[in-house]
Amino acid sequence: MGLKWYTARRVAWAGVVAFVILTVTFVLLEHAPDAQLARVQFQAAASGRSAEAAAEAYARRRGLQGPLWERYLEYLGNLASGDWGWSDSRSQPVVTAILTALPYSLLYTIPAVLLSTVLGIGIGLYSAFNQYTKTDYAATFVAFFGVSIPNFWFGIVLLLVFAVRLGWVPVLFDAELARTRPLSLANARQLALPVFVLATSAIASTMRYARAEALEYVRAAFVKTARAKGASDWRIITRHVLRPTLVPLSTILVGDLLGVILSASYLVEVVFGIPGLGRLSLDAIRRQDTALVLGTTLVPVFVAVVGNLLQDLAYGWLDPRIDYGDR
Amino acid sequence: MPSGSGSDGRGPTPIAGRSRRSFLQLLGLGGATAVAGCSAPDRNGAPTEDAEAIEYVEGTPTGTQTLNFLSVDDMPSANRIQLALDGAYAITPEQETFPLWADITSDEGRVYTVELRDNLRWGAGYGQMTAEDWVYMITEVYQADSNWAGYPNPGDWRQQGEPIPVEKTGPRSFEIRLQSVDPAFPLRPIMWGAFCMPKEIIARYRPDEDQDGLAQDEEVQTLAYAGNLGPYSFERWNRESEFVATRNEEYYLREVDDVPDEWQNAPYFDAYTYEVVPEESTRLSALRSGELTATDIPETRVEQFEGRDDVDVKVFPQAYMTSLIYNQRANGSFYEALRKPGVRRALAHAVDKRTLVDDVLRGYATVAHTFQPTFSRWYSDEQVTEYGVGDTYNHDRARELLREHFGSTPYRYDGDRVVDAEGEQLTLDLVFAQGSQTVETTAQYVAREYDAIGIDVNVTGKQYGTLVEHHLYNSWQGDGDPPWDAGPYNGGPRDQSLSQEPWDLILGITFNTYPRTPSSIQGFTLERGGINFYGYHPETDFASLFETATSTVDEAARRGTLAEIFGALSAEQPFNFLNMGVEVVGYDTAVAGPEEVFGYSWDQNTWRLGQQ
Repeated sequence: MGLKWYTARRVAWAGVVAFVILTVTFVLLEHAPDAQLARVQFQAAASGRSAEAAAEAYARRRGLQGPLWERYLEYLGNLASGDWGWSDSRSQPVVTAILTALPYSLLYTIPAVLLSTVLGIGIGLYSAFNQYTKTDYAATFVAFFGVSIPNFWFGIVLLLVFAVRLGWVPVLFDAELARTRPLSLANARQLALPVFVLATSAIASTMRYARAEALEYVRAAFVKTARAKGASDWRIITRHVLRPTLVPLSTILVGDLLGVILSASYLVEVVFGIPGLGRLSLDAIRRQDTALVLGTTLVPVFVAVVGNLLQDLAYGWLDPRIDYGDR
Repeated sequence: MPSGSGSDGRGPTPIAGRSRRSFLQLLGLGGATAVAGCSAPDRNGAPTEDAEAIEYVEGTPTGTQTLNFLSVDDMPSANRIQLALDGAYAITPEQETFPLWADITSDEGRVYTVELRDNLRWGAGYGQMTAEDWVYMITEVYQADSNWAGYPNPGDWRQQGEPIPVEKTGPRSFEIRLQSVDPAFPLRPIMWGAFCMPKEIIARYRPDEDQDGLAQDEEVQTLAYAGNLGPYSFERWNRESEFVATRNEEYYLREVDDVPDEWQNAPYFDAYTYEVVPEESTRLSALRSGELTATDIPETRVEQFEGRDDVDVKVFPQAYMTSLIYNQRANGSFYEALRKPGVRRALAHAVDKRTLVDDVLRGYATVAHTFQPTFSRWYSDEQVTEYGVGDTYNHDRARELLREHFGSTPYRYDGDRVVDAEGEQLTLDLVFAQGSQTVETTAQYVAREYDAIGIDVNVTGKQYGTLVEHHLYNSWQGDGDPPWDAGPYNGGPRDQSLSQEPWDLILGITFNTYPRTPSSIQGFTLERGGINFYGYHPETDFASLFETATSTVDEAARRGTLAEIFGALSAEQPFNFLNMGVEVVGYDTAVAGPEEVFGYSWDQNTWRLGQQ
């Protein structure tokens, strides 16, 4: 009962959180300066036409007629019935826009997250077991390099070197290729740089956390006992150090994932021209496409809520002393 | 047509990607095999079966929003639609009409007759394009009282608030009856480049005024009705990524005899792709690597491409002018002085326009002196007064003129510095639109030049939307209703209609100078002009001059009147005309066709590879 009740409450809270975020986003968008409207009006007035008529036509095209509350209630009503609305800036349903963009994002975020998680934890553990050695310093350097170097700049430099100068990878992202042949070698080539850039930045924090956490256990009594009993290094790392290290580490994984999807992906997708969720969301905000902004807002909300829930549930599996009976 | 047969391992896409390297290979191969007589294109210019597909890939920063031209208000969308729909007619750089779907004629400049070709066929089974399609679209969409379709320019088809009468005169002809003579009507973007849609499609949504239904119509979204009406056919559209159109083998111009040969065989590419690449550096890298056939190059990056064998940099004159705009409304801190033409002329002496063009814009612009570019047929050297160049760029002279014209204003010189009535240093607020390095540098340069004549300038950057909302929009602050209201940019007389936040100078808002239809600039120059957000009151009677210019058919007389207008504007200096921009485009060197003239893209369908 404890775990189910806890999960049900968390899911219910997710609904409340989503509602609050949607409402705030809707109101903020309404009051943000609309550069596109300003351009439309300016062009109309500059060519001797009526700026007001141009603004009315714009509002009609963008579904911005009527009071705010009326439009919001209509939106919520549609949302409740599974209709996420129509994207005016893309001329397609919001759900279609998101489902079209999502695979492009997953194509490079999944490898990047897997790579950064596995390598980050691996290098972190290695550094912990080889503290203050040259390899530890080298790993620390790599970590700080990854954290410090701006993704945007790094991506452009890599393109210049590996695409323009060496010609190993294409400069332009071929969305049709990615859509039709996602597992091909050609697709892997065009994803190599985005994955590398994203993994470089994400690997650093995971590695540093893993190192710091593992250091707590490297000289712990139970590890010394295991050594005394003749356990191999591999067994000590995987059975006695990795598992307790994973409990606090898992708390940052969801945050990292969100960070990758929300912030780093914006930059990576802009630099590499990938039509993924980051660009979808960014362009929706720039064009003040309300339905699409709200739709793309729901995705990270969903990831955050479900991710945090899964993360909390993972504690119990990683550390059986944790239970949800009294929560 | 090689569609469907081309494959380079990039997936099932029917058109193979074409890089610069393979362009060159193709040219070499084409030369050799042509000698052997085995791969010459057929009469229609269609490649033979064994030829490789040739793709023109243009890199753009933004994608298209819709393919429903009835609601298009952005150039990227219009450009893509134009691949499949030619439009009524084109305008040549010599400002003559070039019939595409139709020819437009008039005897006296008031009643225009539009005659459609007889071989224009809609797709999706809608039959032949007729005058009925046009008249229905104009009257039921463009002139509809409710503007149910959200048409962005409803005012285009009205005069003095009334719909312009449009009447069918035959199966393929209709008349446009203007209420007054307008010899420049064909040059206005009303019928020029106008698209059309089958009456049956519009009629499905007209009764319920169903704008959403029209926007979401599958045939509208895929241009399925385009038939033989454009050089290319819609192939696919990956939003925010690419728009691909393939050569239209049924193109109507192949069947007509009254166009030059190069049009009859057009287009010369098997596919035309717009590749959306938001990041400028990536776009330019793709141009270097040969993955793009063409893309714009900012003036600050042109040097990187000069001297390259594989990229041909072309510079096209543009009609957009950058000005330093003075706030003459009552919420400026220097408005009493800026309302005086003498003061504005003095300030024009303080800014070196040549340095701005040569150093800030790297030579990729031309100096402006009035509201018209020098290449315009309406520009007259004899009438225009030049400031800010040669001898008229002179700080001492600027100070002298300022002293002379401050007169009754609260400002005066105290030593080397300009002070206000309280004896405090005069500091002006210069607001610029963020997003362009050259605009920011220009703002800083202007601040330095003004400092040299004793005026401090505070420079602030704002996002375009914020700048418009805070400084350009102005509204009536007086009691009761305003005596007149010309819209959000000119809410009434300049003493009471004020912007949300005060300002003195603005940079980064470019003005279209309309060299084809120069009377369109009235809104900028009249006290009650719709765009006069800066509160300019002309001393010259521009309204009468414009009335004369627009109503005369005699070109010499128009030229004289317009030259007088632009001469008076240069003398009055409503704002400091700084420079006219250019468009710099980098092309694959194999591309032949683009000429460095204003309006260069009118014959884009005839561009080709050099040896095709």
